[in-house]
Amino acid sequence: MSVLSDLTAFSTPGRERRVTVIQGDFAVNGEDGLVLTTVLGSCVAVCLYDPYAMISGMNHFLLAEPLPGHDIDPSALERYGAFAMEQLINGMIKRGATRKSMRAHIYGGASMRGAMGDIGKSNAIFARNFLDCDQIMVVREDVGDAIARRIEMRARSGQIKCSHVPVSNAMKIATFNRDINPIRDGGDVDLF
Amino acid sequence: MNGTKILAVDDSPSMRALLHNALAQKGYIVDQAEDGVAALEWLESNQPHVLITDINMPRMDGFELIEALRQCDRFQDLPILVLTTESSDEKKARARNAGATGWIVKPFDPEKLCAAVRRVTH
Repeated sequence: MSVLSDLTAFSTPGRERRVTVIQGDFAVNGEDGLVLTTVLGSCVAVCLYDPYAMISGMNHFLLAEPLPGHDIDPSALERYGAFAMEQLINGMIKRGATRKSMRAHIYGGASMRGAMGDIGKSNAIFARNFLDCDQIMVVREDVGDAIARRIEMRARSGQIKCSHVPVSNAMKIATFNRDINPIRDGGDVDLF
Repeated sequence: MNGTKILAVDDSPSMRALLHNALAQKGYIVDQAEDGVAALEWLESNQPHVLITDINMPRMDGFELIEALRQCDRFQDLPILVLTTESSDEKKARARNAGATGWIVKPFDPEKLCAAVRRVTH
């Protein structure tokens, strides 16, 4: 059971600790009283929960919008997205989760106005395809539309709350995301 | 480079597909295995020119696979490239001690990967 059934649980923080998952990052945790959180525009966050291992995980990625005047090879973007997904899944498996028992939620992928185009949609489709291909069951999606989303996930129980943030704030997020180029160098080879 | 046979070992079907596409485009013949156990089964009746393996996998991980292969006469000289999300020096040293030929950190760059394959096969 990873779908939030008790919304009020989030309004009484008590001693809870919050870990913010920023773009390009991921977190895996099963600690009681810990909440994984992020805010999304056209970026996507995949949340995984394994009810047997009682472990939660969240990533936050953007396949990227090519910077003006730059063409980015679409397959390079896919490799970046695959890396974000693999880091998260590996982190879960290391803590005792399995692909078979994990359940996934997909959030974000908003269609922000302006230069963002359809990247939000591409992000969400990418996440869904990756999870399908890896045979991880998707139990909930809240993607698309011109809204931002705040995600809060209780690490121990896997309960997730997805709140929609007003569009005025959402535009700030869109601008924020666009300033970040997620394509990083990788693939360096060390021959022994 | 055409005709070079590669066995790609990774537990993620998405990652295997990505790797397959990148290498097949360059003319490599790519076979796939989902973990160390499946790789050893496939290798009983096949001989690739290069093996590319992930580290974190169920049943048998990349370290165990490399160790098992190096104990086998037929695979003493098989080039083994590790392709992983792990970047720690400790894990890298462990792969080296186990007998890996090279270490590549994801996200991978197809050009660099192919260059590495060419180097270890010549």
